[in-house]
Amino acid sequence: MKRLLGIFLNGLIVENPLFVIMIGLCSSMAVTTTVANGIGMGIALTFVLVMSELIISLFRHLIPESIRMPVFLVVIAGFTTIMDLEMQAYFPVLSKSMGVYIPLVVVNCIIMGRVEAYSSKQPVLDSIFDGLGMGIGYTWVLIALAVVRELLGNGTLLGFQIMPASFSPMIFFILPPGGFLVFALWMAASNDLRRKLLAGRKPEPTQDSCCTLPENGSAEKA
Amino acid sequence: MKRWQMIKLGLILAAYCIVGCVGLAFVYSSTSKTIAQGQEADLQAGLREVFPSATGFTPTDKVKSPNPKIVFDGAYTANGPSGTLGVAVQVHGPSYGGDTTLIVGVSTNGTITGVKVLENIDTPGLGANAANAKYYVDKATKTTFPGQFTGKKVTDAFVVKQDVIAITSATITSRSITNLVQAVAKAASDTLGIGASSQSPDAVLPSADTVRPSSKVAASSVPGISVLETSVGTKSGTIVDTVSGAAFSSKGASALVKATADALVKALAGGGL
Repeated sequence: MKRLLGIFLNGLIVENPLFVIMIGLCSSMAVTTTVANGIGMGIALTFVLVMSELIISLFRHLIPESIRMPVFLVVIAGFTTIMDLEMQAYFPVLSKSMGVYIPLVVVNCIIMGRVEAYSSKQPVLDSIFDGLGMGIGYTWVLIALAVVRELLGNGTLLGFQIMPASFSPMIFFILPPGGFLVFALWMAASNDLRRKLLAGRKPEPTQDSCCTLPENGSAEKA
Repeated sequence: MKRWQMIKLGLILAAYCIVGCVGLAFVYSSTSKTIAQGQEADLQAGLREVFPSATGFTPTDKVKSPNPKIVFDGAYTANGPSGTLGVAVQVHGPSYGGDTTLIVGVSTNGTITGVKVLENIDTPGLGANAANAKYYVDKATKTTFPGQFTGKKVTDAFVVKQDVIAITSATITSRSITNLVQAVAKAASDTLGIGASSQSPDAVLPSADTVRPSSKVAASSVPGISVLETSVGTKSGTIVDTVSGAAFSSKGASALVKATADALVKALAGGGL
């Protein structure tokens, strides 16, 4: 149980898909102009990630090595379409405001990366917890970005006016450059926390060497 | 041997695809009804908003879009207690962040009864203010961007920053919505037999109003040199379209084009063409 919790917590800070592995950045920039979109996208991606990891881990011995990519894509695309249809049916407003980014979850690197590097080799339970951890790691970053961007760029949170009427919205934060700035600041804070968490801990042999970084991260070396 | 291996892999992949498709078919059949109902409810609410006093709506196919890029998804005749009130059209066309969908109502007396934004995915805080009920282009009268079209005559010019107030920093959104409304106004007035405006129906793309300043210049100084403004205008349109949310640079580009057109007109007039 402790091991599963460790796998889950791993995705939040230490191996956060956005801040540490640094994949799936495009959609995170594009949808975080409002908090509602950030939450919606985070939940959507977490759903697709957990379900794809579950299915692929379950069938990992039945997927021939040479055609694993197309099979992964079929599974991911299937769950993305299911999620897209369900959202159109039950959350039409959210689905409209996210537009093209929902179908684009199919080609999100986080899902492809985790499926290829993790669940195609690990048991089912581990894969589910990895999916949950990575998904929530992605979601909290989206919400963190969106809160700053929506509050400063539009004066609202979840559509409610927060800033006083005299506040003039800083449109810069809604536009892509503001997104990059907010992203960088959050990343600095998160990676500082990561370094403190890892300080004193022995470097463990990781299960998926492709997607993990050495102890001190690559940010300052790169 | 190798061929058999290929066939085997193909069959395995096919098996995964078939399972996936069957699963999707189930999900589709369970959600498609709800999706269609939701869209229908949106449409009915939109129609009701532009014709509050109508007793019913009858689909009609007589209203035709004047421009291939502006698509009329459906047109409806609004029936009142005593005859036809007008037509309402669901229309979509290109905007800054993708297609924008509107419902536009035109009454039989030649005015626009209302514009409702059904779908707009432009930049939040900028272009998306078109669908924001609390964003006023005219704070004194609390007029929203689509709200300002209510009561507007179909024969008006529909030029952003002249007879249409733009959304701040969202010139492209403002123009594209204005152009959609104008396209409907034009088509509906043709159908209803109202004295149509003399404006060319193809001037409905976001660059439309950049063409006009130069044509005015040409018309006022030398008649007959109207060849110039199309190319010049189109060029400015391209510049304006690529600069995102930049009313300032669009203005600059338009001013440049106007100056160029001015100079050319003078040169041509002087040269005694």
